[in-house]
Amino acid sequence: MNAIVFDHVSKDYGDVLAVDDVSLSIEPGKTVALLGPNGAGKSTSINMLLGLLRPSKGTVSVYGRTPRQAVAAGQMGAMLQSGQLIPELTVKELIDLIRNLYPQPLDLEEILKLADLTDLVNRRANKLSGGQSQRVRFALAIAGAPKTLLLDEPTAAMDVESRLRFWESMRAYAAGGRTVLFATHYLEEADEHSDRVIVIARGKVAADGTAAQIKAGVGGQVIRFTLGEQPAAGLDLLPGVTAVEIAAGTATLRTSDADATLAGLYRGTTLDVRGLHLAGADLEDAFLALTRES
Amino acid sequence: MLYYAKTEALRMLRNRRYIIFVVLFPVVFYLINANIYGTQTDSAGVRMSTYLLVSMAAYGALASSMMSSAVPWAQERQSGWLRQLQITPLPSWAIIVTKLGAAMVLVLPSLLLVSVAAVLQQGVSMPAGQWVALLLSLWVGAIPFIALGLFIGSLLSADAAQPAAMICMFALSLLGGLWFPIDAIGGTMRTIAGFMPSYHYASLGWNVIAGHGVSMSDALIVVVWGIVLGGAAAYAYRRATVRA
Repeated sequence: MNAIVFDHVSKDYGDVLAVDDVSLSIEPGKTVALLGPNGAGKSTSINMLLGLLRPSKGTVSVYGRTPRQAVAAGQMGAMLQSGQLIPELTVKELIDLIRNLYPQPLDLEEILKLADLTDLVNRRANKLSGGQSQRVRFALAIAGAPKTLLLDEPTAAMDVESRLRFWESMRAYAAGGRTVLFATHYLEEADEHSDRVIVIARGKVAADGTAAQIKAGVGGQVIRFTLGEQPAAGLDLLPGVTAVEIAAGTATLRTSDADATLAGLYRGTTLDVRGLHLAGADLEDAFLALTRES
Repeated sequence: MLYYAKTEALRMLRNRRYIIFVVLFPVVFYLINANIYGTQTDSAGVRMSTYLLVSMAAYGALASSMMSSAVPWAQERQSGWLRQLQITPLPSWAIIVTKLGAAMVLVLPSLLLVSVAAVLQQGVSMPAGQWVALLLSLWVGAIPFIALGLFIGSLLSADAAQPAAMICMFALSLLGGLWFPIDAIGGTMRTIAGFMPSYHYASLGWNVIAGHGVSMSDALIVVVWGIVLGGAAAYAYRRATVRA
């Protein structure tokens, strides 16, 4: 059975269609990145998975149950955007509070170790730094040992060092065969920390696969050169070219066959090509191409 | 759920504002007034030191009911803490019931401290049965005010809930005759007080100390207010937590 299934799910807020007919399924035990620009529908999708929002159309299921059932069974844990803690309680009290609400929680010691909070057990929430609060929120998300962990832009407002430590914690938790879905708009995070990347843009799935597949799928290579004042007409007709972009006198060609494109560029046109640069598309190129097209 | 209730109570006891306004203020106010007017007697022949015990205990309970519910609840809704709880197995109704339970527990310190101050400093004494009837009716009778606080907390943002709760609390205390005896002002104030749940609430206590037992008409009015405000709080809570 799949851990997460979206079956033709749409969600509108009045005139705004936040999620537009999304269908996807995620196998148990996978760590999946939900990658997209702000406003792409990431948070809406996560809130529907938690039963905090109801889909306008279609159904969402978690291990074959409705989100509300999965939540009631203690199978879901989440780090939502902008969740604050109760200022007067200590780290230990907060974690114990949430632990006590789940049927089979993790041990306090294990949570503290995973979230790297052992030194802060007795500190009150109002005395924590931003990064430390985020770690506590992660601890609360995993406290109940949920089979499905949802993280909505978990590293926002973390410095580089904290981020590194955070992803280690996430991996350690996921290693127990748990399913993790995290939303991010950082490409490197999606690339480095997930088994699979689902790119969403304007409420639709724009691409779905491993980071490598997504890079490959969007034109294998990128050719860039200085065009200056010369006309750009005809560049899109060169062999292999899938996309053309002209900006500030620089032409960027995305191509599935760099050799053929270059041959065509030199032999088939009269352009004066200068400053040529050839590179494999990175995930950022792929991402930009995908989110622009859709 | 029990642990949740315990931490709820614990956090308020660590809140300085709660301690000052709710726990210390009624005791200090009682001691000041009782030392000035304590030896006088009211129209029913009850010593003022005992009358003021009821007034200040009622005020403390009222203040506690509203302070431990309205603003913290509005803040939790806004800050995302409510959502954190909503994604745990805790059912939605249990959240608000726990809030109510914790607020009930938090009424006790003000009731008991004013009573202890009255006994130790003013030598107030009454039969054990009266003590039980007094404290029990002031304790259970606080429910409508907790409901009012939760109603405000579900309806308003934290910034708006703060003044709203304060205004309600002062209005109920003043107009209900908790700060100044209604008899001392008379006339219009008496009529207004008749409409205040707080007046009937404190009146439960005043009747007990006058030796009249628990007044059924006052009790009924407090119960009706409890149902009305409880219903309003439940409605506002549902509205605040409804899934769009």
